[in-house]
Amino acid sequence: MVAITFIAADGTDQPIDAEEGLSLMESAVGNGIEVIEAQCGGNAYCGTCRVYIDPAWRAVTGDVTEVEVAMIEVSGDMTPGVRLSCQITVTPSLEGLIVRTPMSQS
Amino acid sequence: MSATASVCPAHQGRDDRKSAQIAAANLAPQEGARVVGAFASVREILRSTQVRQAGASADQADLSKPGEISFFFLDGDLHRKRRAAVAGLFAPKTIVTRHQAVMDRTMDEIIAKLRSRGSAPLDELSWQMAVDVAADIIGLTDSDSSENLANRVKAVLDLSMGRSDSWLGKALLTAKIMIRVGAFWKHDLSPAVEARRKHPKNDVISHLVKENYSKKGMIMECLSYGGAGMMTTREFIVMCAWHLFDDPALLERFLTGGEDDQFAILEEILRLDPVVSLLHRRAAAPVEGSAGVMMQEGEVAALSIRDANTDEATTGPCPYELDPDRAKRMKAVGAYMSFGDGPHRCPGAQVALHETRIFLDRLFRLPGIRLVCEPTIIWNRQIQGYELRGAVVACDPA
Ligand code: HEM
Repeated sequence: MVAITFIAADGTDQPIDAEEGLSLMESAVGNGIEVIEAQCGGNAYCGTCRVYIDPAWRAVTGDVTEVEVAMIEVSGDMTPGVRLSCQITVTPSLEGLIVRTPMSQS
Repeated sequence: MSATASVCPAHQGRDDRKSAQIAAANLAPQEGARVVGAFASVREILRSTQVRQAGASADQADLSKPGEISFFFLDGDLHRKRRAAVAGLFAPKTIVTRHQAVMDRTMDEIIAKLRSRGSAPLDELSWQMAVDVAADIIGLTDSDSSENLANRVKAVLDLSMGRSDSWLGKALLTAKIMIRVGAFWKHDLSPAVEARRKHPKNDVISHLVKENYSKKGMIMECLSYGGAGMMTTREFIVMCAWHLFDDPALLERFLTGGEDDQFAILEEILRLDPVVSLLHRRAAAPVEGSAGVMMQEGEVAALSIRDANTDEATTGPCPYELDPDRAKRMKAVGAYMSFGDGPHRCPGAQVALHETRIFLDRLFRLPGIRLVCEPTIIWNRQIQGYELRGAVVACDPA
């Protein structure tokens, strides 16, 4: 298990134990992070699993990948560190990761 | 082929599916294809970068001319780029800010028509909704009337789904298709293309114009959207209405619940009665999954959406029972595999769910609304899916 903390838009934090090998989105949904809608089930085609990676962690999670660009652009969300959580795989290197979530995905 | 779910002890094995019998009797995977039905395996195959579209029409597509075929048949980078170019048309924000207005306007017309006539065939009403919404996304908005557009699209799609085994039959079918496609080009697509050459808009045809698609390419792309978006949604709306007419408690919940609950009901109906039953994929290279090699190079798999949607490993117990709380409980996507998965997953899924919700919410609030004739369920061999015909709804006159 990998310890990850989600911080909601109102500042409350929700620590979860994420399963290695799953996506960050799947781990969030499985642990009841309700703001992660993931309408398309993890295919980078709805933009409703957006998270903001804490600046200290961006080098580890990496930049927005090519498959994410279209839906992030379409969402109009320009927040620094924005990623689609369905495209981030949980690995031991993410132990202690901090991500913020938007108020809503729409 | 049919899934073998255990009998549910708590509910005497209730089976709420309406299309299971006809599917079991008619489903015909492509010859030589191996049927795969476990949810996890279906998902892994659909998400693999090693698989390609397969099945009757995919095998006929000439991949050396990507500008002349729909992106439905493409794979890899080119496919991703073409999808990305129109992604905005299907985004949740676009549905709220643009498509919802089209859905509301069309529903106003449908309600007015039904109230003035007193009764109407349900699939005619659902077809109007499906066509209007898809036409706006595609950019087919310069036809003489939306009713004529709907009839011409239907004429082409009905024939292209037809089949004849004799040489004369085939020749006649081809000639008829050409005539109908010609009418569609002349009255619908060509005026839309001309209008967009002068004033580009945000729709599929504007994109095709910008990218210099050939006439053939444009026709193929628009008709693919027609088949993928219009025919499927027509059946989905009627299937949902049939379930709701049949189950007063479910209808009550639909009418009193919030939008999220309404979507949960619709998705659960689609899980049980998926419009698309089979997806075919060919392995271009061995497909590795979490449990080892899943497909050998060259192998074709027929992925059974019906089996995947009722796989107890992801649905939990009583997989044939209509339970709108299931997906949330199981932390699953509500429609399960009904919109496919992976790079080809249906881009119009949320559009279809929204238009169906709006259609049914308005229809079932009409005074005196009733189903005066149940639909007959028939099987479309070409698309390997059910069609619901002959349902008639009536309401109190205006
Ligand atoms: C209830 C209604 C619908 C159902 C059940 C449905 C189902 C599906 C499925 C299963 C696929 C995947 C095909 C594959 O993997 O080979 C698909 C693809 C597609 N759908 Fe839908 N669909 C619906 C509505 C719509 C709507 C409303 C539109 C557009 C207005 C649409 C446009 C498309 C397109 C363009 C594709 C091809 C995507 C690609 O190949 O990348 N669909 N649909």
